[in-house]
Amino acid sequence: MIECPYCGHRNIEGALFCEACGFSLWDDNQAHSSTRKLDEDSNELSVKSGWGTATFEEGTQIVVHIRDSVKPIVVTPGSEFLIGRKDDASGITPDLDLTEFGALDKGVSRVHSALRRGEDVLSIVDLDSANGTFLNGQRLASHQPRLLRDGDEIRLGKLVMHIYFK
Amino acid sequence: MSFVDHYSTLGLTSEASDSDIKSAYRLAARRFHPDVNKSPGANIIFGEFNAAYEILADPTKRQLYDQEYKKIDDLSPGIHMQVFFSRPRIKRLGQQQLLYVLAKLQPRLEKISDSHAPLNLCIVVDRSKSMQGSRLRHVKQAAHAIIDDLDDNDVISIVSFSDRAEVVISPQRMRDRRNMKARVSSLRADGSTAMYEGLDLGLSQVERYRSTQYVNHLILITDGRTYLDEDKCLGLADDARMRGVGISGMGIGQDWNDQFLDDLTSRTGGASAYISTGHTVTKFLHNHVKRLATAYAERSQLVVAPTKGVELKEITRIAPDPARLSFEKQPIALGTIDSAATTAVVFKFLIDTTAVEYGDFHLGRLQVSGDVLGRDQRVERIVEDLTIEITGDDVTDEPPPEIIDALSKLRLYQLQENAREAVDNGDFEEATRQLNYLATRLLEEGQEGLAQAALHEARMVKQTQALSDEGTKALKYGTRALINLETELFTNLLTEEASDD
Repeated sequence: MIECPYCGHRNIEGALFCEACGFSLWDDNQAHSSTRKLDEDSNELSVKSGWGTATFEEGTQIVVHIRDSVKPIVVTPGSEFLIGRKDDASGITPDLDLTEFGALDKGVSRVHSALRRGEDVLSIVDLDSANGTFLNGQRLASHQPRLLRDGDEIRLGKLVMHIYFK
Repeated sequence: MSFVDHYSTLGLTSEASDSDIKSAYRLAARRFHPDVNKSPGANIIFGEFNAAYEILADPTKRQLYDQEYKKIDDLSPGIHMQVFFSRPRIKRLGQQQLLYVLAKLQPRLEKISDSHAPLNLCIVVDRSKSMQGSRLRHVKQAAHAIIDDLDDNDVISIVSFSDRAEVVISPQRMRDRRNMKARVSSLRADGSTAMYEGLDLGLSQVERYRSTQYVNHLILITDGRTYLDEDKCLGLADDARMRGVGISGMGIGQDWNDQFLDDLTSRTGGASAYISTGHTVTKFLHNHVKRLATAYAERSQLVVAPTKGVELKEITRIAPDPARLSFEKQPIALGTIDSAATTAVVFKFLIDTTAVEYGDFHLGRLQVSGDVLGRDQRVERIVEDLTIEITGDDVTDEPPPEIIDALSKLRLYQLQENAREAVDNGDFEEATRQLNYLATRLLEEGQEGLAQAALHEARMVKQTQALSDEGTKALKYGTRALINLETELFTNLLTEEASDD
C-alpha cells in the first residue's frame, strides 16, 4: 500500500498517481529517496532540508516561526485550532491571533485557516479566506485539508510562517 | 487480399520445427484456453492459435501454406507498435499491484503512400429550431470550407434533420462545388431533433459509395438531445461499425447529451467533440476532415488478452482522440490509424504476483488489426506479447517519462469523471472534494482557466447539488484535450470563443 501524502488515501502498490486526489505518488518517492541520500552524506543537516515527518502524536507541540518576528510561538493544537485575526466587532477570537504580526496589512482573514488533528497526523485547512492559504508555495483549495509535515512553510495572504513539530 | 501470418501468431518463424509448433501451442493453451482464462480477449486470441495450429501442425496443410507464405516477399507489418511499462520489473508481493502499459502505434514511414485514400464523407446537420441564428450560420460556413477543402476524388453528402431528415447533397464527387454550397446555404432552422432519422438517412448516403478503398465516415453536428430514440441510434452505430463506417460527433452549446454522443461514436472507434458556441466549428471540422485524409488504416481493432492472474481494469485511448474504451466486448473498435499522428492506448492491469515465480512474467497479449488503405489493400495484424520481470528485490526504477506524462494527464480526466459520478450518486460532499482536487491539480499544471471552471463547479454543487451543463462539458472536454496534448489548440479555441456571441 502507498499512502498518499496529500490526502491520506491508501493506494494499491504500483499506482503512480493517487487514485483519490491525483497527487503524484511517484514524485513523492523521488523526494523520499533524495532525502535519504542527504542523510548519509551529512548526518546533521538531514531532516529539515527534505520532507519532514508527518507523524503528529498525542501531546506533540508545534513551534511557529513567523517571518520577520524573532520569538517563535509554541502551541498545542486541539482537535480544531483556528488561525486568523481577532475582531472585536464580530467577537471572533482565533486560537492563534496574528494581529500583532501585521495580519491586517498582510491580508489575513479573521477566520483564515485551521489546524486539525487526526489520528497521529496534523492537517491544515483553508476556511474560505480572502487571500488564500499556501502550503509550501501551493495554494490550497478551500475546505480541503492537507497533511502538515515538520518544517512546512505556510503562507496566509502575505504572512509567511514555518511550522516545526516538537 | 488478407493473408494471416500464422507463424507470428505462435511467436515463431517459418523455420520452426514440429516440436516448436507443438510447444508454442501448448504454452498458449495454458495461458488462453477458455477453461483457464475467461477474459473476452483470450477467447479471440486462443481462436487464432487454434487456426494457426490446425494448419501448421498438419504436414500437408503446412506445405501448402508455406508455398503461399514464400510468395509474399514482405510480411513485416507497416504499423509499428511500441510498448512502455510503468515498471518493466516489479517486486513479488503478497498483495495485488497495478501496472500500466502504454502502446503507441505508428505506421512505418516507408510504408506510407503519398496519395491519401479518398473520403466518402457524410455530414449530418441538426437544423432544429435551437440551431437558429449564429449556430446554423457557423455550421454552414464550416460546410462551405469543407467543400473547398476536399479533393476532386472525395465523395461528399450532406443530410439535415429536424422533425424529419432530408438529403441536402446526395453523395457525389467534388464536381460542382458552387451548387453544393448554394444547397447548404438554403438550410433553414426549424422543428425538433429527430436524430435517428438523420443518422439513418446519413448512413444510407455513405452506403452508396461505401467500399474498402474509401475512408467511410459520418460526422454528426448537433446542439440538442434526441428523445426516445437514443437506443435506436446506438443500434445504427453498431451496424455502421460492422460495415466499416466511422461516426464522429460535434456537440454545440450546452444542451446535447455528451455521454450519449460518446457512446454512439466510440462504438465505431470515433469520438465526440465539444464546441461551446459554434464559432469554432469550422476549425474543428477542418482539422477533423484533414485527419481523415491522412488515414493509414481504417476499421482498426484491438484485442487484449491478459494472462490468468492478471486483470484488465481500464483501457483509454489517449491519442489521437482521447476516449475510454469499453472492453467487455472484443475486438474493441479503435477507428482510424493515422499516418500523421500517433495512436496511443493506455492499459491498466491489476496483477496478483503472490504465487508467481521470479523471472519473466507474461502479462498478456495485445493484437491490433486494421485495413490498410491504398493500392495494396490488405488486412494488417500485429501481435505483441507483454512480458515483465518479477524480482525479489526492491525496484526503484523510474517509470518511463511517456507513462508519467500520459498518466498525469489522465488523472485530471479521471478526477472530473469521479466528480460527475459522485454527483450522480448524490454524494455532493465527495463531488466538491473531487472538484477541488481537480482545481488544485489543474493549477499545478498551469491550467488556470480550467481550474477556475472546476472551482466554479465546486461552488455550484455546494449550492445547487448539481453541476452546470456548461461546466460539465467544459471540464470534460477541457481535461480530455489536455490528454491529447492539444492544449494549445483547445485553449486557443476557448479564448476565441470568449469573444464570440
